Amino acid sequence: MALLRGKRWLLMVVVAGLIATQALGAADAPTENQVQAVFLFNFSRFVEWPPQAFAAPSDPFVIGIVGSDPFGARLDEAVHNEQINGHALIVRRFRSISEVDNCQILFIDRSEIARLGQILAALDHHSTLTVSQADGAAQRGVMIQFATENSRIRLRINVDSARAAGLTISSKLLRPAEIIGTDVKEQ
Amino acid sequence: MRKSSTPIRRTLMNMIFLSSGVVLLVTSSAFCAYEFLTFRQSSIQQLQILGRAIASNSTAALAFENAEDAASILTAFKSDPHIVAAALYDIRGKVFATYPQELPLDRLPAQVGKGFSFSRSALIGFEPVAEGPKQLGFLYMESDLNAMYSRMELYALIGALVAALSLSLAFLISRRLQYRLLQPILALADTARAVAERHDYTVRAAPTGAYEFDLFTDTFNQMLTQIQESEDKLQAQVGRLNLLQHITRATGERQDLPSIFQVVLGSLEENLPIDFGCFLLHDPGAKTLSVAALGKKGIRFAESLSLLPNGSVPIDQNGLSRCVGGQLVYEPDVSQVAFPFPQRLSAAGLRSVVFAPLIVESQVFGVLVCARADGQAFSSRECEFLKQLSEHVALASHQARLYGALQQAYDDLRQSQHTVMQQERLRALGQMASGIAHDINNAISPVSLYTESLLEREPNLSERTRNYLTTIQRAIEDVARTVARMREFYRERDAQLTLERVEINRAVEQVVELTKPRWSDLPQARGAMVDLQSFLADPLPNIMGAEHEIRDALTNLIFNAVDAMPTGGTLSVRTRKATVADGETRVLIEVSDTGVGMDEDTRRRCLEPFYTTKGERGTGLGLAMVYGMIQRHSAELEIDSAPGKGTTVRLNFPAVTSSVVSQPKAKSAAVVKRPLRILLVDDDPLLIKSLQDTLQEDGHLVTATHGGHEGIEAFAAAAKRGECFDIVVTDLGMPHVDGRKVATSVKGVSPTTPVVLLTGWGQRLIATNDAPAHVDKVLAKPPRLHELRAALAELVA
Repeated sequence: MALLRGKRWLLMVVVAGLIATQALGAADAPTENQVQAVFLFNFSRFVEWPPQAFAAPSDPFVIGIVGSDPFGARLDEAVHNEQINGHALIVRRFRSISEVDNCQILFIDRSEIARLGQILAALDHHSTLTVSQADGAAQRGVMIQFATENSRIRLRINVDSARAAGLTISSKLLRPAEIIGTDVKEQ
Repeated sequence: MRKSSTPIRRTLMNMIFLSSGVVLLVTSSAFCAYEFLTFRQSSIQQLQILGRAIASNSTAALAFENAEDAASILTAFKSDPHIVAAALYDIRGKVFATYPQELPLDRLPAQVGKGFSFSRSALIGFEPVAEGPKQLGFLYMESDLNAMYSRMELYALIGALVAALSLSLAFLISRRLQYRLLQPILALADTARAVAERHDYTVRAAPTGAYEFDLFTDTFNQMLTQIQESEDKLQAQVGRLNLLQHITRATGERQDLPSIFQVVLGSLEENLPIDFGCFLLHDPGAKTLSVAALGKKGIRFAESLSLLPNGSVPIDQNGLSRCVGGQLVYEPDVSQVAFPFPQRLSAAGLRSVVFAPLIVESQVFGVLVCARADGQAFSSRECEFLKQLSEHVALASHQARLYGALQQAYDDLRQSQHTVMQQERLRALGQMASGIAHDINNAISPVSLYTESLLEREPNLSERTRNYLTTIQRAIEDVARTVARMREFYRERDAQLTLERVEINRAVEQVVELTKPRWSDLPQARGAMVDLQSFLADPLPNIMGAEHEIRDALTNLIFNAVDAMPTGGTLSVRTRKATVADGETRVLIEVSDTGVGMDEDTRRRCLEPFYTTKGERGTGLGLAMVYGMIQRHSAELEIDSAPGKGTTVRLNFPAVTSSVVSQPKAKSAAVVKRPLRILLVDDDPLLIKSLQDTLQEDGHLVTATHGGHEGIEAFAAAAKRGECFDIVVTDLGMPHVDGRKVATSVKGVSPTTPVVLLTGWGQRLIATNDAPAHVDKVLAKPPRLHELRAALAELVA
């Protein structure tokens, strides 16, 4: 029954989705990047940073992007006027890891995946949540990886990397996500 | 009991049921309301808690748009079966996930709401889904109210059960309590019913042990006591009223005081009751009270009181004086009163006394004395009763007195009527007798005159002729005497008695002789023999009296004696002299018979006028006349008699002490020698002829006229001629002009001419010296020659 019901629900969702897509048109349909931009911002809610992550209380909460920026203005819109525990949210974009300063969330674009080891090493001892959309990034030590399944974005979380960085990821975030261990072979 | 009234038992039960029902209802309602409200509240809270938990868990799913995860989170609502629908909306208000997953979207609210609210059959609520300050979406929940309703049903069921149980318990307890509560009321009601139905005011309600009820029963009992007292008082009052009525009726039936007093005292002793009662009659002059009647029951007290019938009690300064003053006096304790009469009462063993005055026309004529042996024994009501009774008794006594007076007056009147009738009859008889006597006297006058004349003037009469004439003369004298006595007997009584010396023996002899036909002849005709014996004492003193009355009395006594011996017997007449203690001499006349005698009652009444034992034959006046004579003569009358023993009547006269005996006047031998001119006036020719003859033989010149008128004319004519008559002898009774007128005319012509009146009634005129005016001498008919001669000699000489 549950299976049957689930199938019917799926059907309905699909039908609803089709109708919605048809109705809203391509213009408003959120792109994958847009959704990821919102997700990136949302991580600030479900992850707890240690106090030493900020040099001063007035320091902003920085979402950094290293590599090419897939989000564009979407992310800026998402963080506009937002605050996390009294820290204003700002977005900073870095061309390379060398430019990366103190930031709380660092999105590592697929373009930088080649230099992933280098980046992660540079971030060692920093309480920076690393996020990437590159395939297999989680296995390679990135804390959260966006994975697209059935045109839906799913999260793969490397809990060990986060714990190593002193970050606490909310169980709420963990529950629907896929927990990935660091592939030793990769390293 | 009125129909609309309900037994208190049912009312009480209704009240208990109603009150406990209302209490239960209110309590249950309050409880249900409370439960309803709190249940709503708790439902909201529960839903809120659940919603918050789910919302909190749903944040990540919403934040990262994981619809499957969201749906799986929502399945947590399965833990509460009442949640029938739930949905997650994203921040834009779009349905993100539903529970159950196949829930149609139109089942969900199109708009996102706020807070919790109850719809008709469900509780719906919206819970914001937020992570930190960031609002992520909304959670919609819908919980049906079946739970609440089922809970309410449960409560209602429990409530009904509890109510039923409570009411059953209330019924049982109230029955038990009600019995205790109602028992005194029902007992009281039973008592009240008993009182009302049987009118028995002696029953009392028993105490119950409960304060208020005891108060109630006490009051009730007190009320009953008062009613009983009132009832008793009423009964006593009714009893006294009945007694008063009884006594009043009893006294009304009686007409004499002693009987009224006796019946009153008897009733009082019997019914009030009293220990001692008496009536005292007031004598204002002597200032004493005399005992008129004594109660029979109280006679022992009367003896110790030394109050005897007709005894007297002085009015001293005690209650009696006030009572005689008209007040009812009550002495509650006579031993405390220092005056003699109360002390006498006290000594006799009587303590409380009531003196009630008997008042008639504002005068106290007597006192009713009621006494009891106990002190303080008369209530004020009894005093009032005695006062009323005394008024009734006084009235009854007064009426009895009036009745007695009326009866006496009536008796007197009747007696007077009888007397008058009797006297009238006697008078008629007397007149008749007088007429007869007059005629007889006239008739025998010539016989007498001629006989006397013959005997006197004819010397040559043979012895035989002389004897015959002498016998004729004696017989004529007897006739004349008999006629005289007869007249005497019937003559009217004089108002004043002229007393003269009376020779009793002579009077007795005359009466015996006169009554001889009665005691000798009449009995003999019947074949009875009456033997008359006279024992006359000689000498016997004279008495002062009226001889004719004494003769009448003796005649009556002899008649009575003869009547008492219808079969004959001995009649004794006796006279004797007696000397009494103080030396006074008395003359006794006794008339005795050996007849039937008299019983005590007859003996006591025989002197009453018109009392007779002879029936139609007697007038009842005989002994009364005797008694009247006795009283007029200051004499005494004794009667000895017993039934079958004969009767002796004794007359006792005072004797005349002086022994002077009246000498009858010696017959005057005086004879007028010279011839007289005599005018005779009489209407009887025989008489006038005999008178004329005898007077002419004496040598007188006699002119005879027949009738008064002729006589007067003859006298007047003679006077004119100068040959006046020397004397006129006229009859008294003549038609037209009687002897009195003749005498008057004669004296008118010649005052010195004597007038002699001859009368058939002459005896009486002589006896009483009742000579009419202008009459010088009255002679009785038949005239005796020697009397006539003596009169002529006396008047002319």
